[in-house]
Amino acid sequence: MATDAGIILEYGRTRKKKRDWRGFVFQLLFLFPAVFFLGLFMFYPIEETFRLSLMRASGLGDTVYIGLENYVKLFTNEEFQQGLLHVFAWAFWSVVIQIPLAFFIAFSLIAFKNKLTSKLRAIYYLASIIPSAIVAMLGRFIFSPRNGVISSLAARWNWTWLANIDFFGDSRLAFWTVFAVATWTYIGFYIVYQMANIEQIPVDIYEAALLDGATRWQYARYVVIPMISYPLRICAILCTVGSLKLFDLPWLLTFGGPGYATTTLGIILYKQGFINAMYGRASAIGVIIFLLSLIFTVTQFSLQRKEGEIEW
Amino acid sequence: MTRKRISLLASFFLLVALTAGLLLPISAAGKVKLTVWGIDLPDDDPAHAYAKALVNGFKAKNPDIELDYVALGNDGLKDKVKVCMASNSGLPDIFQSWGGSVMGSYADAGRLLDLTKELKDIKCSEAARQAMTWKGKTYGVAPFFAIAGVFVNEGLFKAHGLKVPTTIDEFEKVCEALKAKGIQPLACGAKDKWPVLAMYMYLVDRFGGINAFADAAARKARFDGEAFVKAAQLYQKWVKAGYFGSKPLGEAYGDAQVLMATGKAGMHVTGSWMCAQYSSKEFTDQTIGFYAFPVLPGGKGKETDIMGMTDIGYAATRVAAGKKDAVVRFMKYAMSVEACSAEPGRICSVPGVKAPSRLTEMAAGVFAKAKAVQFWWDQDLPASVSSPLNDALQNIMMPEADVAKALAQYEELVTEMMGPVKKK
Repeated sequence: MATDAGIILEYGRTRKKKRDWRGFVFQLLFLFPAVFFLGLFMFYPIEETFRLSLMRASGLGDTVYIGLENYVKLFTNEEFQQGLLHVFAWAFWSVVIQIPLAFFIAFSLIAFKNKLTSKLRAIYYLASIIPSAIVAMLGRFIFSPRNGVISSLAARWNWTWLANIDFFGDSRLAFWTVFAVATWTYIGFYIVYQMANIEQIPVDIYEAALLDGATRWQYARYVVIPMISYPLRICAILCTVGSLKLFDLPWLLTFGGPGYATTTLGIILYKQGFINAMYGRASAIGVIIFLLSLIFTVTQFSLQRKEGEIEW
Repeated sequence: MTRKRISLLASFFLLVALTAGLLLPISAAGKVKLTVWGIDLPDDDPAHAYAKALVNGFKAKNPDIELDYVALGNDGLKDKVKVCMASNSGLPDIFQSWGGSVMGSYADAGRLLDLTKELKDIKCSEAARQAMTWKGKTYGVAPFFAIAGVFVNEGLFKAHGLKVPTTIDEFEKVCEALKAKGIQPLACGAKDKWPVLAMYMYLVDRFGGINAFADAAARKARFDGEAFVKAAQLYQKWVKAGYFGSKPLGEAYGDAQVLMATGKAGMHVTGSWMCAQYSSKEFTDQTIGFYAFPVLPGGKGKETDIMGMTDIGYAATRVAAGKKDAVVRFMKYAMSVEACSAEPGRICSVPGVKAPSRLTEMAAGVFAKAKAVQFWWDQDLPASVSSPLNDALQNIMMPEADVAKALAQYEELVTEMMGPVKKK
């Protein structure tokens, strides 16, 4: 046995040496396209963004090295401070409002299952696949100050207090108006995702809970939520990272205004890069978004690993 | 024998194919290709009548030039030109431009084609020529010019016995009277930010004179100087008084147009590009007129100080250096009476083109009296400070905003980008 094993080992070693060399070449060959395109379209732009964030660059004329000046200017700029505050507020309220609301709808659809469930699931999901431009148009159609659905109905019913509300123009309300439109469109994904996870829970657990005298909401509170806590955490991380990159809806609905009431890091980056032609400053914002996203992504992976260890 | 015949036939076809292949590029090479980037599509939209006449007319009159006209829309054009100028790649031969310092920055970077000699004989207004000239060199043409002024709903004014105001005091009285009748005195569209600028430019001029902005832009004065702050405070006072309605920041520029078109607003301070729409019976059933912005008694600005700039202009890039003749022919056709006559609303810079409507005639009349023309600030300032200017101005529309602080912050940015105010 020992001799056989030795022969096999020896054979394996000699074969392995030759196979390794060929395998290595093949691995390189097969990896090359992916590595090349990743390098060209991902790592190189990231490196360039970091480099440019230390420069004063308008695209025309010289590019001057200015160290960390772009970052210093950003952190002392009111618009940037507001943008940073808004993305964190957006992330917080998304987690606090959107995910529980999505869970409530997802659980209700399953707990009170009937022939409308699949249609409702499709309707909720539909909102999340509509392009942002159309969502923004719908948002304006509803909240527009003069011809919007709300102001028109309020005027017809003589509810002047409601008709006089300026949803996009009042700096105290604009953030929440945009957030409401976003919640309507983003929630569909979380509903479907959570429904898929709730449906994975074996029926006998539900039956056992019923036998123990649990109501549907007790079942949700003490069984479903703990069992889908991992997918809920993934939803929370997706919400947070999505908030950091937020651009489309606030831009399309309010251009980040009035004043800086709905501005986000994405909007400031776009304005600095594509309108103000300040590429260095725009790159610095890009780096900040990248680093913040990286922190949350690493958190996501570490949570995943931790979860894996628990299961193991 | 058969094989020999086949090979002979094959050789013959090969020869024909080769000759055709060689000749085709020669015939194509005879046609110069001119790439032009514009804003409007050359389609049947009445607002695009000039673009359509220009593209179709030029193609018909110049069969030896292959015109590739690309319509990119307003923001699309600005973004694309900016990116291509920065990277110095993918530039067209000609692009639609408003002239001024934005064009000047491209000229300074060596991206534009000097056409001073070739275009010196083209007849046009002096303001239009100046707009397309930077540091003594002309880079293009400006067939249409736009000025800011006051669109007045003459029907409403007549019905309520109001006179078109010529001073700021009269202006305020008219606003109060309109408000008392339940009519929004002023339409603006502040949600889109840039519409706030037109009236602010005039107010600064009326307080500080035509040099107030010029001095600040040349860094001889600050953007938070007395005239700027006073103008902003007056603007904000009018917002608080309800002259812009109860939801000034919620209304976009399109909403402002609708307010005027439906008689719900009495006045609209904006550019003369609105002449076509406000003249159109399909757009509005109101009788609207165009007037100069009122003067401020005791202020430095005059009624003849006019805010305006190129409405449609074209500039050539260095890419077209090898086809100057084709470029000049395009520029000349863009300035022709034939092409310009198709325009339904804008003020034309070309002599001999009849005003298409009463409103355009009124706007042209105001422009004709101008003794000093100041370009749109957001076009005349460098890109790095023009968009923040519109942000700062939207702030003054917020009743709770500290206008002096907003302007001081803007001045800080200008100092960083354009340098501090030079000491005398």
